[in-house]
Order: sequence, then C-alpha cells, then structure tokens
Amino acid sequence: MGDRLKRLVAAGILLLLSIILMSGIYQKWIPRKEKKLTIGVFAGSYWDIENGYYYRILDDAIAKFRREFPEYEVTYTSGILKSDYSEWLAEKLLQGDVPDLFFVPGDDIPTFADIGALRPLTNLITLDREFDPGAFYSSAYLSGQENGVQVALPYECAPNMMFVNKTILDREGIPLPDPDWTWEDFLAICGKVTRSTDGTGVINQYGVSGYSWEDAFSTNGVELFDEEGRSCDFTTPRIGEAISFLERLQAGNSGYNVSGRDFSNGNVAFQPMMFSEYRAYKSRELSLKKYSGFEWECITMPAGPSGDNFSRLDTLYVALSSRTSQEEAAWELMKILTSEKEIQKEIFDYSEGISPLVDVTESEETADMILEGTGTAFNMDTLHRAMEKSVTPPRFAGYEDAREQVSIAVRSILDSNSNVQMEQIIWNRTINNYLKTRR
Amino acid sequence: MSDRSLELYQDNKTQDFTSILQAPGLIFLEMKVLNLLILFFITIISLHALRGYTMDGSALHFLIGAGSVPAYSWKLPLCVAALCICLLLLLSVPCNNHPELVVKIVIEYGIILGICTLTGFGYTGIVMLLLADTMRYRIDWKKRIIYIVAICIAYLAMSGNKMYSLPHVIPLSQMWAYYRQDVRNSLLSVLDMLSLLNTMIFILYMVVMTLSQTSEKERILRLNSQLQMANRKLEEYAQEQVRMTETRERNRLAREIHDTLGHSLTGIITGIEACIMLMDIAPEATKEQLRAIAEVARNGITDVRHSVNALRPDALETLSLESAIRKLVEESEKSTGVKIDLVFPENLQNLDQDEEDVLYRIVQESITNAIRHGKATHIDVRMERVDNDLRIRIADNGKGCDNIQSGFGLHHMQERIDMLKGTLSYSGKDGFVIEAVVPIRVEAEEES
Repeated sequence: MGDRLKRLVAAGILLLLSIILMSGIYQKWIPRKEKKLTIGVFAGSYWDIENGYYYRILDDAIAKFRREFPEYEVTYTSGILKSDYSEWLAEKLLQGDVPDLFFVPGDDIPTFADIGALRPLTNLITLDREFDPGAFYSSAYLSGQENGVQVALPYECAPNMMFVNKTILDREGIPLPDPDWTWEDFLAICGKVTRSTDGTGVINQYGVSGYSWEDAFSTNGVELFDEEGRSCDFTTPRIGEAISFLERLQAGNSGYNVSGRDFSNGNVAFQPMMFSEYRAYKSRELSLKKYSGFEWECITMPAGPSGDNFSRLDTLYVALSSRTSQEEAAWELMKILTSEKEIQKEIFDYSEGISPLVDVTESEETADMILEGTGTAFNMDTLHRAMEKSVTPPRFAGYEDAREQVSIAVRSILDSNSNVQMEQIIWNRTINNYLKTRR
Repeated sequence: MSDRSLELYQDNKTQDFTSILQAPGLIFLEMKVLNLLILFFITIISLHALRGYTMDGSALHFLIGAGSVPAYSWKLPLCVAALCICLLLLLSVPCNNHPELVVKIVIEYGIILGICTLTGFGYTGIVMLLLADTMRYRIDWKKRIIYIVAICIAYLAMSGNKMYSLPHVIPLSQMWAYYRQDVRNSLLSVLDMLSLLNTMIFILYMVVMTLSQTSEKERILRLNSQLQMANRKLEEYAQEQVRMTETRERNRLAREIHDTLGHSLTGIITGIEACIMLMDIAPEATKEQLRAIAEVARNGITDVRHSVNALRPDALETLSLESAIRKLVEESEKSTGVKIDLVFPENLQNLDQDEEDVLYRIVQESITNAIRHGKATHIDVRMERVDNDLRIRIADNGKGCDNIQSGFGLHHMQERIDMLKGTLSYSGKDGFVIEAVVPIRVEAEEES
C-alpha cells in the first residue's frame, strides 16, 4: 500500500505541475526583481505616411508613466515595419514572449482575439473608477469589442470622407454640397461635371474616382455579414439599391475607368479618402507633392436612401496580452496611451489620425492646430459629424477573403446586364457556400 | 469496502503457469513504450513545424488557421512528458474496488484528453492503454462489458472531428501544415502505421490475456478440487478420532465392569465358601455371612448397572429399540438426504439390553459406512425374525468395495456379534451388503 500511495502522490504532483505549466499561472508567482514592461509597436505611421515622428508619442507616454511608476522599466523593439508587424506579433506569440502591451491594427483585432492573445478588459474597466468609456467616440470604442467583450482600446482613428475638387465645382458653378447630401445629389453633380472641357468632345473631366461598393454599402446601412462571418445576406433591398446606384455612377463615366491619378491631376470632382490623407497632404510640408494644382476640401460621404452620411472608421488599437504578468502596470500604461488627454493631443502633432477622445478632437486647440496645419478654413463640424456617424466595417478572421468574394460578386453584377435581384440571389448562394467551406 | 473480485490477474506468481501469466504484462509494457514513442514522434515533429513557422515568417497565417496559440517550444514536450509519466504511474496503481477503478479511469481519461489536446488529437490510441489496463482485473463479464463499452464510447468521442472545436485544440494536420503536402502525407502515414501497430499489439494483448485468464481458471479449479479432497480426508480423520475415543472409553468401562463385577464375584465366592464350612457349625453366623454376601452381590449389581448404563447408546436409554432405530433412520435421512427404507419385524420385543445395543450399533454403523464410504443415496434396512434368529440385511446403492479392508467399524461389528454368538457376512460387489444373523435368547422371552 505504501508503494501505491507513493505512486498516486507522484502522479498527482505531476498532473498539478503540468496544469500549472499549461495555464501559465506560474508566471504570476515568480517574484520579479526589476519590474519590466514590454510594448509591441511598429515603426512609422499607421496611416502609411512617412513623417519621421515614429515613436514620439509613445516615448512621451512612457515618460509620463515612468513619472508615476518609476520602479518600472519600459521597453519596446523599434524598427519593425508596419507590414511585418502582425507577423512579428504572431511569431512572438508562438515563441511565448509576447509584449505585455501592444498596438493592434484594426483589421487584426478579430484574428488576435480569436486565438486568445488579447486579454479581455471587462473587469479592468469595471474595477477602474477613473476610466470613462464615454470619453471615447462610441463607434471607435465599441469597435474594440469582439463578441461583445472589450479587448482593445482605440488609440487613434480616421474616418473615410469625400474629397472634393473645389476648383472644378467653382468652375462649373456648383456650390459645395451640404453635409447631409445624398446619392441623388452626388449623381446630379457627377452628371454635371462629366464632360469635355477642351472642346475636343472627348470627356476629360469626371465625377468620381475610387468610389467602391463598400462606400455605397456602408452609406446605405448594409449589414452584410453576421458577427462571426459564417453567413452573409446579399439579397437585401439595400444592397439592390447600392448596386443600382453604382451602376448609374459607372454609366456616367461612359465606360472610362477613372483612377486616382485622374483625381490628383485635377480632372475628377470627388474621391473618397481617409481623413488622415487629408491631414497629410494639406499640411504644408507635403502639400507640394500631391494634389497641388487645385483647391480641395473634404466633406461627408453622400447618404444612401436607406442609410445616412456614414463614414467608415479605421482605428489603431492598444491591447493587453492575455499572458501578461504585469496586468495592473500594463493597464495604467494603456490608459495613459489611450485616455490621457495630453498624450492624445499629440496625435494631432505627430500623426495624421485623430484622437478617439471626443474632448480632445472637438477642442478649440485641436481646431486651431488643424487650421494651422492645413492652412485652410476647415469646417470642424464636418469632422465631428463624420466621427459621430462613423461605422466600423465588419471584421472577422478571414474577412479579407470574404470581402474579395463580395467584390467579385458586385463587379460581376455590374458587368452583366441581367436582373440585379436574380443575380443577388445567385451570388448570395455562392458567397454563403464560400463562407461555409472556409473553415 | 474491499472487493475481492477486483484483483489483478498478474499478481499470482506460481511456478507452473509463469510463462503464460507474464505474457500480458510484457505486451502491456510494449504498448506503453510504443505509445510513448508515438507521442515523442508527434511532439518532435510539431516542435519542428512550430519553429519552422517562425523561421519562415508564416506564423500569422498559421495562427489564423489554428485559431489558438499552441503551447510554445519547451512547454510542449515538458507538458506531454509530465502527463505521460503521470498516466503511466496511474496505470501502475492497482485498484481494490469498483469505485476506485471508475475514479481512476476517469482521471486517466482526463489526462489522455490533456495529452491529446497538446498533440492536436493526431493520435488517440492511448485510450487502448486504458482498455488494456481495465482488462487486467478480475471482473465478471457483465461489468466488464460495461467498462469496455464506456471506454470505447469515450474513445469514439475522441476520434471524431468534434474535438477540434474544443478551445486550445489545434488539429495535428493544421500544425503540420508547415510541411509540403507530400512530406506531410508521409509523416501522417507513419503516424497511422504506428497507430495501427498499437492496435495490433492491443489485439495480441487481449488474446494472450484471455488465454492466461482461462489457464488461470483451470489452475484455480484444480487447486479447488485438491482442497476439497484434503478437506474430506480431514473430516474422516476427525470422525475416526471420535470413534477411537469412544472405543477407548468402552474398553475402560468394560474393564471397570470387570473389576467391579470380578471384585463382587470374588467376594461372593469367598463368602459362599466360608458359608459352606460354617453352615454346620454355626448356622446363625452362616446366615449373617449370607446376608453380607447378598449385600455384596446387590452392590455389585448396582455397580454393574451403572457401568452398563454408561455404555448404552443415548437413544436406547429412553426409547425402545424400534423407536430408537426409526429415530436413527429419520435423523440420517434428514441430515444427509439419503433415502433409507426400513423394515422392522413386529414380533421382536423384550430383547435383552445387550442384544438391543448390538442391533442398534450394527444398523448405525452400517448406515454410517454406506454414507461415508459408499456415497450411497439409497439404503435398504431389513430386519426379520426367522424362528429364533434375527436376520439383518443392510444394502446400499453406493460404490461398494472390491477389496474389503476390515477397518474399525466392521471389526467392532464382528466383535459385538461374536458376543451374541451370531454370524456376520458382507460383500462389496454391488453396492455394499451386510448380513448378520443373531440368535435371540428365547428363555428370556418365555420367562416374561
């Protein structure tokens, strides 16, 4: 019996040991001599615009954090390109040394949340009385949720807006559209400006370039996929409306494929763009490079009949690693990065996005700064309106591929002459089949 | 709570059956080693693949496909090894009863689930170890089938695709997707082959286990019959002992009778001789002497009565011969289940005590012999009076005896009958038959 007991005890100890090892709890038990926080961050701007202030805001945030918690040492690996960043993070996950705190591009939230790399923030948020979720633009804040659980906080964001070539509109005698303009207004203006300006009869001035089905779908309130991306409803009348609208828009160009280059050459009246681009190219340093031959402005997106002037929002998030052993400290640093006004203000200095904090973005100071930066009298109301009516496009692991399927469907429907509704039903089946077999 | 039905088959180390009894143990060991090898193989390949993903820069792609982060580098082999050792230790722990066994199987299954989670459910044959372990116990077939069915259901549950939807499970094929299609296929087929080998060893184990369990049963049966034989001999010895004690006691009593009777008779004879001489000289003194002699004779008789009473069979003390014999027959039937037919003559009364004793003893001894030695199921006891002879014939349907060895019983019977001047004959040809003829003292009958 003694032998039996010994074996049982040994087995029990081993079992306990392996459970501890697998769950990773042991990391919290090991007392650390130096308190260390690591941050995962990429080099350069999230908005793909080289500005030279790679780590400025982060360094300031770290400095502020160190003032409050001097016992902590905070490090980050510099020089990881944005294009390599997600892969770098994945490798760190596989190797088991994920940073305690890391930036997550909006598209990667579902991926990292699905594999359980992001620590749910629910209890940290409820326990922390200082933290106020209401300080964020709700769209930006809520998009940090995955399956109803907050897993990331917005760090900076940018809505997509409609860029207008004011020179063309002035020349054609058309006033700048209202902020609550519609597809019909949009079509009317496009119709007016699409013509030959040099008298040759060959059309060389166009209405719009780069207006995608996603723009049309989002401004018409289309909800294409379910939460997990397992099914898709492609048959709704809203989609029918959007496709008809795109058809009419395309017909206006009389078959010519208008490109972004046409817009930068000053031959196109409208082009949807991220607000970050507006800020980048309006700023004095870069204004000579692009869009220099004409006056331009950014306004809200035109609303569809069943939707509103919705802007799609792109957001860069900060998330906690689910394996962090320095939860409290990492959360404090995360709060400094995302909800400390002083730090968030710097986004307008050193980045091209805007702060997801309502107070920061809508402050006088910010308006002055944008005014000073762009040199034009930008109507801040337009930005506020866009932020308030911003929507985050659906996201789930494998969204890119699903989107590609929809792109093919829309393109195919636009190219064919058959009944749109019939085509919708056919493609609905195809896309759903794809989603079902995807995983 | 100890349940003796749950013993391990292997724990009996006897000389003659060693080889077949140890074979299942050896095969079980082989199975364990093979399973460890398979898990080692899976772990090594998985580790290499995981390393490969990070080297090739396809970690993100892998993670998206996998849907969860696998245990990283050193953790994976460590956890698998710890769980394997844990499982082996548990397998080596014997159980004493069914609740213990059930708890053990459940815990072991949990550990196996853990190992399979870590190894992406690429190999689920470890469950066969559980099955093999359970087969080592002496469990009756009903319960055994319940165990087998339960474990098989658990095994089937593991083999389905369902397990892939568990959290933290990355299918092995996904984990090995790092390799080129053909390389991965050959790796998976190696795994399949090893798994098949495991199944074959398991089947061999089951066959050998069944064989060893049958031989074990035979051995137990043989031991059992030996034990029964020894037991029977012991019983016989005990009964013989009782009889010998009785005989000794009888002899002692006989001596006593002789002594008291001899003493009285000697006194009487001496007294009578004195009386003969005194009779003419002193008639009064002779009378006195004769009175004394009468006293001695009376005392003698009293003594003899006492001694004889000590010799009498209990039944005869209180009952008549017929009642005593009927009672004897009835009791024998009741206690042994043997059918005994009794014919008792009507014209047999007023026998002397010693005659009654001898008749009773003959019947008693014969019935006892028929049951004990002859294994008879039917005994026929027939007593009849022919003129002045009493004929007793006791026949049984037992196995009889070709070479009769006159043992204690027959010897005593002979002695007793000799005392009454009777004759005894017996034969063991067809069952066992004892015939005795005892002359009856007619005078005594006429006198009364």
